[in-house]
Amino acid sequence: MFRFKREQSVVNVSGVKFGGQPGELPTVLCGTIFYQGHKIVQDEELGLFDHEAAEVLICRQAELSEETGCPAVLHIYARTTEAFERYLDFAEQVWSGPVIIDSADHAVRAKMAEQVSELGYADRTIYNSISLATTEAEAQAIKDCEVDSAIILAYNPAEPGVDGALHILETGGAVKEKGLIVLAKELGIANLLIDPGVVPLGSGSGTALRFSIAAKARFGLPVGSGIHNAVSAWPWLKSREAQTKRCCDAAANAMQLLAAGDFLLYGPIENAEFIFPAAAMADIMVAEAVRDLDISPVPVHPLHKLV
Amino acid sequence: MIPECKKQSGGCDDSWPPVRGDYIVGNPTARVAVVTLASQIRIDGAAISGPCKTENLGVEKIVANVISNCNIRFLLICGAESKGHLPGNTILALHRNGIDDRGRIVGSKGAIPFIQNLPPNAVERFQSQVELIDRIGLEDRAQIEHLIKTHNALLEPYPQEPFPIAIRRTRSVQVLSGKGDLLLGSGVVMDAIAWLVMEEEIAAEG
Repeated sequence: MFRFKREQSVVNVSGVKFGGQPGELPTVLCGTIFYQGHKIVQDEELGLFDHEAAEVLICRQAELSEETGCPAVLHIYARTTEAFERYLDFAEQVWSGPVIIDSADHAVRAKMAEQVSELGYADRTIYNSISLATTEAEAQAIKDCEVDSAIILAYNPAEPGVDGALHILETGGAVKEKGLIVLAKELGIANLLIDPGVVPLGSGSGTALRFSIAAKARFGLPVGSGIHNAVSAWPWLKSREAQTKRCCDAAANAMQLLAAGDFLLYGPIENAEFIFPAAAMADIMVAEAVRDLDISPVPVHPLHKLV
Repeated sequence: MIPECKKQSGGCDDSWPPVRGDYIVGNPTARVAVVTLASQIRIDGAAISGPCKTENLGVEKIVANVISNCNIRFLLICGAESKGHLPGNTILALHRNGIDDRGRIVGSKGAIPFIQNLPPNAVERFQSQVELIDRIGLEDRAQIEHLIKTHNALLEPYPQEPFPIAIRRTRSVQVLSGKGDLLLGSGVVMDAIAWLVMEEEIAAEG
């Protein structure tokens, strides 16, 4: 394991800390609920869902977080603003930690940012994401809202690879007038979380791992990814047993963690059951590996809670 | 002179389709390929069929697998559009307008519509080899298979060789020295950008 020469900033969102040197802070684990195809959702447009099942999932993630020491974040995906209103109204009753707001539709994302601001939840909210796809209207909505934490997606399809991802953050590369880090700051984002954007296996998924280390070395900002997507998009794995898929998922997340990941967008919240133990174990090993590099794990670290 | 499509090879190599993905290969000599966008629909009678949920890598795979089989003359776009990503809209835009010099698909409303791994002449070949059948939203299997059957009887194979697919690789850079911005302990450092591990003394020498 290693220690970065550059000082590593720590981002604090509603009491949950992201970043620092590897082995210092436990990895933040973000489980997604109400995602596309989530079985507990009956109507994705209206946001009708099984409240009891949703509460069980959210509470289980919180329990595992408490038990392992790895902080949890609730990642809410919504197809429409109407659905998001229902999801947020419900989440407020069962979850008091940070929330990631996310939608495939930029207009819905923009409206989500407005809604959380109006309801007074902006300081608990992480916007997902500011990227090459951020439109002018969406940028204006981010600027106008009170959300000041965001995931910055470094996906650069015009220049694949680590250099291209760094360029989109720093200068905008060949496809954006300015770098996404500058853009995010101009939009009022104070807490920046960097995500390389994971592509499928065979298309360069491993780039995310090397990028994570390079980005922390260069910017000193917290880095994490949804490396779960590389696993779920692997056609070969689709016909395998659930147990095999879970093993691959846990391995991929542990690899991201080993590659200096500060947070994991680990996919379906149901996966909390095996992701939290896998991440906690990896956190312990990393902390032990850097023990003689002048890095001390915080008191709530899995190293102090589970061994 | 344009070489005729090889009858012996059946219009495509034995290894077709060249790019792996979430699809089902049917009859490689059929004229129709089907993309079901965000819907999972089991289709019979097509050369190849499967979903596509992304407006960049997913679309690239479709183009690669279509132009490497000159039997395919129609691409049927059906199923529910993938919200935000809009791969259906992006395929239509690609076919109509092509890409700009940065690889962006002109006129697409998708989130990040780029072609990154295919050369520009692959897009030109896609535009000339296939006609698009725009039935975005159609999920009825019987209707889809009727369209396939109808169009399988039309047109001859594209009168050229299958387009050779060579996936673009990221350029590798030889690194001779680096700076130690990542400390591994015991006198070993690493240049995190170059991914170069070295002894501290060597890093200091630059």
